[in-house]
Amino acid sequence: MSLLDVRNLTTRIATSRGVMNVVEDVSFTVQQGECFGIVGESGSGKSMTCRSILGLLSKSGSATGAAWFEGQDLLTLKSDALQQIRGRQIAMIVQDAASALNPVVRIGTQIAEAMMQHGLVSSKAEARQRSLKLMSKVGIPATESRIDDYPHQFSGGMCQRVVIAAALSCSPKLIIADEPTTALDVTIQDQILRLLVALQAEFGMSLILVTHDMGVVAQTCQRVAVMYGGELVEMADTASLFRTPRHPYTMGLLNCVPHLDRDVGTARLRPIPGAPPDLMNPLAGCRFHPRCPLANDACKSTRPPLREVAAGHFSRCLRQDVLGKDIWNAESARA
Amino acid sequence: MRDAGQPSALRPLVEVDDLTKRFGARGGLSQILGAASQRQLTAVDAVSFQINAGEILGLVGESGSGKTTLGRCLLRLVEPSSGQVRFDGKDLISLSKGDLRVARRQMQMIFQDPYSALNPRMTIRQMLSEVLRFHRICTDAAIPARIAELLALVGLDQSAADRLPRHFSGGQRQRIGIARALAVEPRFIVADEPVSAVDVSVQAQIMNLLLDLRDQLGLTILLIAHDLSVVRYVSDRVGVLYLGRLVEIAPTAQIFAAPRHPYTQALLRAAPRPDPDRHPAQPAIAGEPPSPLNPPPGCHFHTRCPLATARCKSEMPPLQTVSDGHQVRCHHHDLALLNPSPR
Amino acid sequence: MTSLAHKPAQQSRLAQMGGLVSGAAILAIILLASLMASHLIPYDPIEQNLRNTLQPPSLSHLFGTDNFGRDIFARVLHAAKLDLMIGFLCVVFPWILGLTLGGIAGYFGGLADTLIMRTVDTFTAFPFLIMVIGVIAILGPGLFGMYVALTLAGWSIYARIVRAEVLVIKKSEYILAARSLGYGHGRILVRHVIPNVVTPTIIFAMTDMVLVILSTTSLSFLGLGVQPPTPEWGVMIAEGRGFILSAWWMVTLPGLAVVLVGVALSLFGDGIARILREGSQA
Repeated sequence: MSLLDVRNLTTRIATSRGVMNVVEDVSFTVQQGECFGIVGESGSGKSMTCRSILGLLSKSGSATGAAWFEGQDLLTLKSDALQQIRGRQIAMIVQDAASALNPVVRIGTQIAEAMMQHGLVSSKAEARQRSLKLMSKVGIPATESRIDDYPHQFSGGMCQRVVIAAALSCSPKLIIADEPTTALDVTIQDQILRLLVALQAEFGMSLILVTHDMGVVAQTCQRVAVMYGGELVEMADTASLFRTPRHPYTMGLLNCVPHLDRDVGTARLRPIPGAPPDLMNPLAGCRFHPRCPLANDACKSTRPPLREVAAGHFSRCLRQDVLGKDIWNAESARA
Repeated sequence: MRDAGQPSALRPLVEVDDLTKRFGARGGLSQILGAASQRQLTAVDAVSFQINAGEILGLVGESGSGKTTLGRCLLRLVEPSSGQVRFDGKDLISLSKGDLRVARRQMQMIFQDPYSALNPRMTIRQMLSEVLRFHRICTDAAIPARIAELLALVGLDQSAADRLPRHFSGGQRQRIGIARALAVEPRFIVADEPVSAVDVSVQAQIMNLLLDLRDQLGLTILLIAHDLSVVRYVSDRVGVLYLGRLVEIAPTAQIFAAPRHPYTQALLRAAPRPDPDRHPAQPAIAGEPPSPLNPPPGCHFHTRCPLATARCKSEMPPLQTVSDGHQVRCHHHDLALLNPSPR
Repeated sequence: MTSLAHKPAQQSRLAQMGGLVSGAAILAIILLASLMASHLIPYDPIEQNLRNTLQPPSLSHLFGTDNFGRDIFARVLHAAKLDLMIGFLCVVFPWILGLTLGGIAGYFGGLADTLIMRTVDTFTAFPFLIMVIGVIAILGPGLFGMYVALTLAGWSIYARIVRAEVLVIKKSEYILAARSLGYGHGRILVRHVIPNVVTPTIIFAMTDMVLVILSTTSLSFLGLGVQPPTPEWGVMIAEGRGFILSAWWMVTLPGLAVVLVGVALSLFGDGIARILREGSQA
């Protein structure tokens, strides 16, 4: 049985200029102990999907569909019931760790806060002991001397470790990490990703890793969903998604990110032409069709369903028959 | 490696010599009042390199490496503390204000954040006309044609001219920023993280645009980035900065095939790849970069270096030439060569 | 579902437009009536008619007459011109001064910043009315003194707002871009910095205008501003003070005019402010 089962999640946000269709009919499951990646560019709806699940949308947003977690639909829960689940069973790690921490509260207190809140510790002394343990678990050196420090005394990487320690404090079943390493340097990113994977294995948690970086998911996740313009366009286990992508957008993305290990010679990258879609005025048909080299008339009018194209491999593309390795090569001449 | 084999490529257009920038030496009232000694931050520490005409030099470093300050020093947007910058043989640092204004026509900058790099209250036409008029690039009558030309050059639609920046996507704004820089017909461009704030699917468009502009206009470009994969695609040579010091510089193919500095190797190992089969067991590098306010003595990298010895803790390694065009600042660069492949 | 989500945004937009439109309408009517006052009403606002003093409101004298037999409606309408003009100018002068000095302080920093901001501190150290009265005491009562006094008392807040905004804008990459294009400081400040910092100052000026009009009438009431017999609401209220029990209309009706203008300006100002804020967000 899956730990989280999201079905037909659709999120709208009202703004002064109109309604944004930020998430459109997204369904996926996350298994126990699995690391599930959601990749997409800005505006693809990846962060909004997570926020909708956790009930963290602002007042102008509304989500429909269902998100089953442990037999309860998170989308229909009352806010105080949701409060009990957030932090306790599902924890969130955000991109900007430095601003996720309260600048005037000591590190130790912030790590212990959720434990105290959910009544997992009986005394302050116990909370402190558990905080110290968590700090060493996430690789913060000299825990005794640093537990009473303030966030500004920590580097960005160390702040992210503190945030992770706080997220772990209630032994959640699921951690949602929204671009947890985007603000970090590449050598620190490497450390933090390793830490997350190691902790996930150790505690048997599930992890949803949201990122724009194909490299990060390839190295971290077991299964990946690719989002574009609010829709989930492809979902598969990591190996088959990267080896045999079945959606032109995924193929284009893999084609246009620079590879470090290939000898590039004078070859040019093959960019995806055009710009990401406008969420105010969603296109009819496939949302990727204006940028897709395979688009035909059907793509412009029919919204493709998410179909299982191979075992466990889902794709939202009508042109499965003509998908080939070099669909983007002819395109490069134009771009 | 890219072909930069025009005859002019052998002549350095930009020469940087011992360039140093220190921040925090406060003047003014606090100095007069004898305020407690200020902590100094050496953002750029005696950096020297050259960029040949028509070449793209990539400069890589993490936050705090001084790469942005270095780029701004080259254009004198930040006044260097010491050292020399020569442009086409002329010393830029000693230029008077008037001469600097003339020189600025030859050197331009492309910025990281396409959202803050454009004045939100000026249409693209107003922005470009101001540049063209200010530098008397062309007659007033010729301005509309020149604007059309610039927009075409960076791949924007002509209808873009009369809109405000907020109507454009990140990638389009970056193109507008490039058009503004090109308006003065510069010979040299400092591109400070031009793609790091742009969507992944659009990054390649901007990178290819930079390459096209180099080829079409013979531009010389200093490309500053934190992302090794970006410089690999765009640069002819790559320099690596760590805490203000240039630790390695080499032709692109060379530095990626056989990096000689342990830090460069670590950077290469740490970069995530879209390759599901690659799961290195060991972390690329342990520890955090030291604070630039209080850098370690000797080799700045010794606190994190697997090869560090007592010598590294006390003696700053010089920048040594290890092969043609490949320089490295490491006492143990021979050992580093034996280090397992960075992959 | 979509239309449901859409509603709150539309409603608030309607509400804000309503305020703006009604405020603007009231102001426009008052201003027009005031400009055409001599055509609308057959009475002169200054000429005395001692045979017709202290008449209560009637069809021939809508607001009644005062102790010199002048038609109060005529005087209230004529006064509107003056009061609105003072209110406008006494916001524009400090706005210009504050924008200039605050812009210079924020943009150049260093010594200029120290000098200007210490001056601002000095000016804000004085309570508003004490300072205004002090300046008028030196320059003598009257319109000129009032303009100078309200400008000196008001500019420092604008300078503060502008300086804070400039400090933020100064770090934008487009300012760096302007410098790398070789533009001089004057051009950068005027064309690239100032246009991006005026919005919050205009929002503040809208609320400030109400306060300035109230101060104007207060000063005139105290005999420090506009001098009789010129029709001005504060002056009229002061003149009617002695007759408050026998001729209520002499004080009350000019007073209501002040209230009406205050409310209209607030509605109008709030609407403008909201539109400007939304514009700068988009």
